Amino acid sequence: MHPFSYTRASDTREALNAGRRGGRYIAGGTTLVDLMRETVERPDSLVDITGLPLSEVTETERGGLRIGALVTMSKAAAHAKVRTLYPVVSEALELSASAQLRNMATIGGNIMQRTRCTYFRDVTADCNKREPGSGCAALHGVNRTHAILGTSDACVATHPSDVAVAFAALEARVHLLGPDGARHIPFAEFLLRPGSTPQREHALRKGELITAVEIPALPRPLRSGYLKVRDRQSYEFALTSAAVALHVRGGVIREARVAAGGVGTVPWKLPAVEQHLVGERPSGALWSAAAAKAADGARPLQHNRFKAELLKRTVERQLRVVGGTK
Amino acid sequence: MSPQPQAAVGAPLSRVDGRLKVTGKAVYAAEHDVDGAVHAVIVDASIGRGRITSVDTGDAEKHPGVLRVISHRNAPKLPYRDNAGSNNPPGRRLRVFQDDRVLFHGQPVAVVVATTLEAAQHGASLVKVRYDAEKSSTDLHEAEPGRPTDYARGDAEAGLRSSAVRLDLTYQLARNHHNPMEPHATIARWDGDKLTVWDKTQWVMGTHDELAAVFDLPAESVRVINPFVGGGFGSGLRCWPHTVVAALAARETKRPVKLVLSRKQMYFGAGFRPSYEYRLRLGSDRRGRLAAAVHDIDAETSSYETFTEAVMGAGQMLYSMPNVSQAYRQVPLDVNTPIWMRGPGFASASFVIESAMDELAHELGIDPIELRRRNEPREDESSNLPFSTRQLRECYTVGAREFGWQARSSRPRARREGDWLIGLGMAAGVYDCGRFPAEARARLDADGTAVVEAATSDMGPGTYTSQTQVAADALGLSMRTVTFRLGDSLYPPTSPHGGSATMASVGSAVVDACDQVRQQAIKLAVEDRESPLYRVDAGDVVVRGGRLHVQGNPARGETYRSLLARNDRSHLEARGNYAGAPSPARRSYFAYNATFAEVAVDAALGLVRVRRMLGVYDAGRIISPKLADSQALGGIVGGIGTALLEHTVTDHRDGRIVNANLADYLVPVNADVPEVRAIYLDGEDNDGNALGVKGLGEVVQVGVAAAIGNAVFNATGRRVRELPITAEALL
Repeated sequence: MHPFSYTRASDTREALNAGRRGGRYIAGGTTLVDLMRETVERPDSLVDITGLPLSEVTETERGGLRIGALVTMSKAAAHAKVRTLYPVVSEALELSASAQLRNMATIGGNIMQRTRCTYFRDVTADCNKREPGSGCAALHGVNRTHAILGTSDACVATHPSDVAVAFAALEARVHLLGPDGARHIPFAEFLLRPGSTPQREHALRKGELITAVEIPALPRPLRSGYLKVRDRQSYEFALTSAAVALHVRGGVIREARVAAGGVGTVPWKLPAVEQHLVGERPSGALWSAAAAKAADGARPLQHNRFKAELLKRTVERQLRVVGGTK
Repeated sequence: MSPQPQAAVGAPLSRVDGRLKVTGKAVYAAEHDVDGAVHAVIVDASIGRGRITSVDTGDAEKHPGVLRVISHRNAPKLPYRDNAGSNNPPGRRLRVFQDDRVLFHGQPVAVVVATTLEAAQHGASLVKVRYDAEKSSTDLHEAEPGRPTDYARGDAEAGLRSSAVRLDLTYQLARNHHNPMEPHATIARWDGDKLTVWDKTQWVMGTHDELAAVFDLPAESVRVINPFVGGGFGSGLRCWPHTVVAALAARETKRPVKLVLSRKQMYFGAGFRPSYEYRLRLGSDRRGRLAAAVHDIDAETSSYETFTEAVMGAGQMLYSMPNVSQAYRQVPLDVNTPIWMRGPGFASASFVIESAMDELAHELGIDPIELRRRNEPREDESSNLPFSTRQLRECYTVGAREFGWQARSSRPRARREGDWLIGLGMAAGVYDCGRFPAEARARLDADGTAVVEAATSDMGPGTYTSQTQVAADALGLSMRTVTFRLGDSLYPPTSPHGGSATMASVGSAVVDACDQVRQQAIKLAVEDRESPLYRVDAGDVVVRGGRLHVQGNPARGETYRSLLARNDRSHLEARGNYAGAPSPARRSYFAYNATFAEVAVDAALGLVRVRRMLGVYDAGRIISPKLADSQALGGIVGGIGTALLEHTVTDHRDGRIVNANLADYLVPVNADVPEVRAIYLDGEDNDGNALGVKGLGEVVQVGVAAAIGNAVFNATGRRVRELPITAEALL
């Protein structure tokens, strides 16, 4: 591990000051410390932000939910409002990692977690994300778990988070606080596709702090859920996953929110699937026809060709589970 | 000699070291508190093959706390004497820091020794090694195999040609890693020319002999200590290069050195179950009588050692057939050398043979159990020896009844529950249990307690407990008055703790030592005028609860304590011996099982979930039923891993293992482990061991993967001939 200094920020101002001077924020540390041990991450200075008052889940005036950045995954998953209003969020959380990790990891850290790409995590391998310009060993390497959507020749790494897929589906907002004040941005703009700069993964400015993720109010009743497909039944990242939320009134789908995980370089929103659903009556045929669009634009690699088909089936299954029709 | 009452043997006892383990007081290799120990971290080669052109240690040496960086540039030449009788396979073993050659990705190329672990780790990351890389060869399917080991009886090709039904099947088996919870670790200390090593090993004598050979030391100058092993599954069966590195670093720095492999280093530092390409051609008549089998077996080995395992045995003796030919080829690759892993050879072969038998049963429309019954041999056709015991038919009967086999449809995809297709499968298992030379020492003290010692190991089966049971009954003592000690090369030597050999081998030596001690006490009593047992026939005396008495007359007798006190004896002591398997063999001695699996397959998503498993075991006498259940559960879990999850993946471009961690190399988690049940058939196998045992720890994993694969076929109609069975194969 590269030597580093460690300070605890007692309030937000102190944290931002340290962040502006180049300090890296650390909360649960479940990704950062892991990567520091592998020397993939080599921060000179860590700023512990766990003392900041960002651990509340609150209802917004319009009926949405605001989850503080320091709320742990386990607390968020167990929160009564999260469970009743957005089961897709609690399910995504509970299907993530292990109980021990969920007790440590925070919502802010979760959406910041870095890829599981083996070449990224091995400092002796070529990786444009870790070392811009060195090449992408995964492109023609072992890439079964890699992305098929949103990739570039520079990077094919998958975004690993489950709850970020739910956030993407629900069109959440990320609240930020920086030296220049507070702002918020749509979730879809928070995480960046690799393009030719895979080292740039998010829209945070220097020293900026995530304060909360806000899930907007959605029309009720809203049925939602998360399906995660993986080899092992627990403690594994997704091969494919689907976050689905549907608002059905009068037998017609009025709103649809669908995103996929395990397949994209960022959580992959599926607007074509959503558009196909809206205005239609739930049916097996509808799920199948909508899901057929899930892998549009996919660029499979040598070892993950199966993911395009598996993705369609995953989306179709979860549409049926949430939509409640055969 | 009188038969001793068996009170402890056969009782479902908890582990005698259980409290130590759950309270964290059991001391594992890296945890020994060795005064002044400093830390060593290995630098791994980052190319798959080639030469080291430079080693820049400047930054590392400047880092505070770093004491020394050792590589081939400054390491002393080590003698590396031959070590006959070791578990080193034929070849030239990897010699650490002796030259500039890199033979595989991850090979140790330097070691950093520092006063703290953190400094050593950081120091290791600062060492800059440059290479002249060559193209490495790690793909079993691309490389040239070596000369085959052959076996033949009858004329297999002719037998195939004349068979009414012929199958030609090729199976691929992934490489598996042992992944014990405890990493391999060594603490080495030199006192002058004497070397003491605390090392994670399943064989303290093996590590002892190897270190004596590498450093050219007299045997008495080396001591190896390892009282607890946090899981092994075979990975501790030989002394690995890192142990030598630790000893070398300690000698160079003149301090005790602790070296713990990282989880990642475990993937290239301590062996693995090799991957296989296994082509099996089977010929039978329409009624399912096997006529011929041709086995073409390719397996990984390293470029510097030729690793072999017992992958040919099952094909020679599990089923009756006149014509068999086998060619087993080791394919030298730029990888580190494999090592035996639970059920070695047999587990791999059984997946192939038992999957093929299921395919044949389906082809013929015969129930898979019935097909196996029709091919049950009368004797071991590979050796023409009678079986010592073989209750495989009974395993089928009991297993079918207890598992509800009659509910299975022979037609695939016949049973559906919602999105899940349900299937049942079974397989036979067999393992060639070892019986190796062993010694043990028993000492009965004047206070009526006993200590028994042998340089064996307890990687998890519960050797401490089961040997205490055996010793307690042989001495006529209660469990709590007997202490069994292991894991020290100063104790009487034993063979490796593996091959399901420990109870038959070490147990027999323990019985011998304890019997001798008991006989000494009885002799002392019957010859002692003051003993109530004076002039009783020694053969009529038994000992129970520390009291010698006339068999059938408990009133006439006395305790060990009073006997030894009156005779002014501080202790009685004896050394026991077990010579190993009878030679020449008189009987064919194998453990068997029938393993059953029920799986649910989500055919749309390619998910396989094991729902129930049952193993029925013919393993001879069961010494410790509770420990046996732990073995069966562990073996079945291991088999689930092999069947569905475990796969060490290599990037063949440069030999890099890309999933060298427990997040990406998948072992079953609790959620993957369903209802598991084990049944042990009654019986004893007295072929050359005092205890009537056959060994259990290996056979429990044999057949599991095939049973699961066969259940997947029954559920889906899809025959997956590649392990592990993953989603993409079932979509």
